[in-house]
Amino acid sequence: MSRNPYVRKMSKTTWFLTHGRYRSYILHELSSFFVAIYTGILIMGLLRLGSGPEEWAGWLEGVTSPAGIVFHLLAFAFAIIHTVSWFKVVPQAMRIQRGEDFVPGQLLVRAHYGVLAGVSVVVLILAGIA
Amino acid sequence: MSTREITLKVLRYRPEVDSKPFFQTYEKVPCEEEWVVLDALNYIKDEIDRTLSFRWSCHMFVCGSCGMVINGEPKLSCKAFLRDYGKKITVEPLANFPIERDLVVVIDDFVEKLLSVKPWVIPKVKKSLDDGAYNQTPAQLKSFKQYSMCINCLLCYSACPQYGLDNSFVGPASLALAHRYNMDSRDVGRKAREDVVASAEGIWECSFVGACSQVCPKDVDPAGAIQQIKITSAIDYVMSMVPGGK
Repeated sequence: MSRNPYVRKMSKTTWFLTHGRYRSYILHELSSFFVAIYTGILIMGLLRLGSGPEEWAGWLEGVTSPAGIVFHLLAFAFAIIHTVSWFKVVPQAMRIQRGEDFVPGQLLVRAHYGVLAGVSVVVLILAGIA
Repeated sequence: MSTREITLKVLRYRPEVDSKPFFQTYEKVPCEEEWVVLDALNYIKDEIDRTLSFRWSCHMFVCGSCGMVINGEPKLSCKAFLRDYGKKITVEPLANFPIERDLVVVIDDFVEKLLSVKPWVIPKVKKSLDDGAYNQTPAQLKSFKQYSMCINCLLCYSACPQYGLDNSFVGPASLALAHRYNMDSRDVGRKAREDVVASAEGIWECSFVGACSQVCPKDVDPAGAIQQIKITSAIDYVMSMVPGGK
């Protein structure tokens, strides 16, 4: 009897819609796009600040416009998704052994949130907000 | 005495007559409370349709032979209790592998990849039996034990979209086993495995979807193993750029 294995191809364009865990992954990847755009806008603001008061005022007008505010709210939501989804997998990449035992994964996750909170407070103080 | 009847929708492929796979429905399959999907398949094979093909051996989550996709999820059919499912269950062969016949897939590609990572201890100095065992502390054993639990069931390959989209990827189980030997205090084979493991088709093909770890029936966490190798490999790269580095 001759062999004739059948190959089922995975769709290159719709595979991520086929399972909940793939949809979560794509959302997590998509969050990078918003974080990158936000970073770009922020860098642009710094460049405008160096170019003079008029350029800075123009940038400020842009980010405080309704479209600018909507984008920033969206970027903030995706930044939260980005943070939560990456911090969740920290114990998988960061495996610290002390003697025979491993440092508990949840401790590592909490430490990351602690550092995030600490850095955020410092930034808010430097910005004169807190 | 049967406690209920279920319907099993099974993806069939008979290479001598079928041009493509099709679903065959087996209705009113009697099943006991403690049965798993594998028991129902065995009932069908014994009592309803002798032509149905599938792999199995131990029936106790050890041999890794009976991996299938059950209601869209890669599972060991000997670990999938019928009581956890509704009255209708869909059973398909593992995804991302060619179908040999019915629920049997061709695993040659995996075997080739597994061998390519040299999944055995490569000692610094080979000892004879008379020289005694290679000693290891409990802590040294624990550093890699989790990754040694892999039973090559291939659920991770079935769940991995990276392997599904491009099967040049070495894949989760093979890389987890490479990590298992790299972490072994008796082994000095990390450099010998590097060409395959730290290549574009190796760890760097993985985008950390994490599906492999979610479906692993032995909690091996191949995704974690791959990220840990990435860190070691990145450190190796940086060190190679530093004057006086390794």
